[in-house]
Amino acid sequence: MNAHKAKILEQWLKRALELFPEKMDNTTPVAVVFSGALEGIVSGLCNNDNDYRAALDDMTRILAVQSTLPSKALSIFLEPKLILRDMMMKTTVADALMPEEQEAFHSRLDALTLEAFDSYMQHREKIYQLKVEEGRRRMFMALRRAEP
Amino acid sequence: MSKYVPKVSELKKEFDEKPSVLKGNYSAQEWWDIPVEFRDGNWCFPGKPEVLEDLGFANPRKWAATDQDWQLPAGWQKTISDGLQSRLKKYRSLKLFLDACVRCGACADKCHFFLGTGDPKNMPVVRAELLRSVYRNDFPLVEKILKGFSGSRKLTEEVIKEWHAYFHQCTECRRCSVFCPFGIDTAEITMMVRELLNLIGVNNNWILAPVSNCNRTGNHLGIEPHTFVQNITSLVDDIEDLTGVTVEPTFNRKGAEVLFITPSGDVFGDPGVYTMMGYLLLFHHIGLDYTISTYASEGGNFGMFTSNDMMKKLNAKMYHEAKRLGVKWILGGECGHMWRVVHQYMNTMNGPADFLEVPVSPMTGTRFNNAAATKMVHIAEFTADLIYHKKLKLDPKRNDHLRTTFHDSCNVARGMGMFEEPRYVLRNVCNSFHEMPEDTIREKTFCCGSGSGLNAEENMELRMRGGFPRANAVRYVKEHNKVDSLVTICAIDRASLPPLMKYWNPGVTVYGLHELVGNALVMQGEKKRTEDLRENPMAGFDDGGDDDEE
Ligand code: SF4
Ligand code: SF4
Repeated sequence: MNAHKAKILEQWLKRALELFPEKMDNTTPVAVVFSGALEGIVSGLCNNDNDYRAALDDMTRILAVQSTLPSKALSIFLEPKLILRDMMMKTTVADALMPEEQEAFHSRLDALTLEAFDSYMQHREKIYQLKVEEGRRRMFMALRRAEP
Repeated sequence: MSKYVPKVSELKKEFDEKPSVLKGNYSAQEWWDIPVEFRDGNWCFPGKPEVLEDLGFANPRKWAATDQDWQLPAGWQKTISDGLQSRLKKYRSLKLFLDACVRCGACADKCHFFLGTGDPKNMPVVRAELLRSVYRNDFPLVEKILKGFSGSRKLTEEVIKEWHAYFHQCTECRRCSVFCPFGIDTAEITMMVRELLNLIGVNNNWILAPVSNCNRTGNHLGIEPHTFVQNITSLVDDIEDLTGVTVEPTFNRKGAEVLFITPSGDVFGDPGVYTMMGYLLLFHHIGLDYTISTYASEGGNFGMFTSNDMMKKLNAKMYHEAKRLGVKWILGGECGHMWRVVHQYMNTMNGPADFLEVPVSPMTGTRFNNAAATKMVHIAEFTADLIYHKKLKLDPKRNDHLRTTFHDSCNVARGMGMFEEPRYVLRNVCNSFHEMPEDTIREKTFCCGSGSGLNAEENMELRMRGGFPRANAVRYVKEHNKVDSLVTICAIDRASLPPLMKYWNPGVTVYGLHELVGNALVMQGEKKRTEDLRENPMAGFDDGGDDDEE
């Protein structure tokens, strides 16, 4: 699996950035964060460790405030399946992954996608919380007087 | 079910009908073909009819940006067209900015809204093009430059919607102008378009309600004089509880040497009030002969985001009050656009303020010649001068519980060129200060994403996107230098950066510069201080410890 890591990463970043209407240069803050986060996620996927939650949060934190629909935003996490499929079609028999390896990768990715949904929703909820808090902070002195 | 979860049928319809980046069919389109879309979280509520009536502004009605029909007034095309022509005559800068752009693209990726959204219409060059394209149609000037686009187009309702969307995704921060070889200031184009939009009642309540309040009661929230005094009095009580020192501000006192004006956020909002406590401690510390006005009770000037006339009127109020009270000069608190207005426009609009004196610091004798026209001194400059002349007794250890970085507010940094004074003050009042990366500070500072009246709650998602480049730079110092405190000298920042930090960088708290000054000031007759102005414990000053080795 690790042999394919760099390729998956490169492809994934490219496709993730296509979510934005205009091409995002690799030096833009979004691309930099995406690239760091995707690296963390791909490592987690390839090494089969679950150490990718912070990286996942970095991705969904950006996605949750974009004007794209949630379904569209989260479709980013379905991409690696397609990327891997394309890669396997083009690769030599020697380099190809065993079906059970591919299967395992797919199910890890499914789990990750569901986690991404949780994380995305947490950020959406955060936005609502911030709206409420902001109103309170603006009225700080008035609310303080109103307290018993 | 959350309203954010679309129905499958809607999704399918949307996918079938709309061009989408995932289908790849935006790539064949140019910006003028991409439809404008208002979604929850990316637009501000329009001005309420009663607010418009108060101000005598055009076309009061109930409407929303998501409505199909915006109920524009009859003949609106002519209103806009005439409005544009008269402004082109009146403001040479506008005409110059519209004519001079060569579309070199140097500004394209410099806008925080572009960097946060990837939306091509948020490239400053395209943003300006939204107006320029209409201007060209009315005033044919330039040959065809862009492929497939004549450079001009008709003024339709769709264009008005687009203007509303994208000139409210510009915080007038001027970052783009720093990179433009011609110094084209897209911020001024935005100001003009917003002014035009106001002529036909396309507006933003978060801007107009404060304008109306300020027009009537003197401050954004419409706080009346007695409440204004009451707020400050309770801060005086807090200061006494924390320090044992009784500070004694006066209100509307004729004959005071200095009139102090700050944004009203410092008088009613959290965390602005802690900055206010810092000012009050400072003035007491040096024995300044000052007064606060309950009429000119607002430094901020939302007129700047509305129209030139409104900006002029709200700015004039401060000077009328200075004249009425017979003060010598004005000291201004930590604010962003108040300073942009004073620095860039005041003298042309309302100057010269001959009835005031060129400000001289009564403590150091420093004559502020830079304020010779406006007679108004920035508090960071004033305090830096005090520190330089060793007039303050400071214990920076009292801020040892904070690891700071400094956010240059666009208006003060780019708008008036003040970079060093606040840093000098900050270095003298705390021991841990780390700069964010070079291309995100000083004249290249990234906006908070909420300036110029976009700070409405309902606009939160857009603000988070626009503020992302700033937040990302804070993240850098958070990770590399363990920074946990973001210090700033702008009231909009104090209101908008807390949610931005909570979203992108949880654990980073926002402070005003003079709050830290207030923490560090060793006051005569003070009691043993163990807590900062927010009643948080200071490091190494716990009740039992032998703290002050000085
Ligand atoms: S940098 Fe200046 S000249 Fe170049 S595209 Fe931008 S506004 Fe036009
Ligand atoms: S002034 Fe600021 S917000 Fe407006 S286009 Fe320029 S960089 Fe963007």
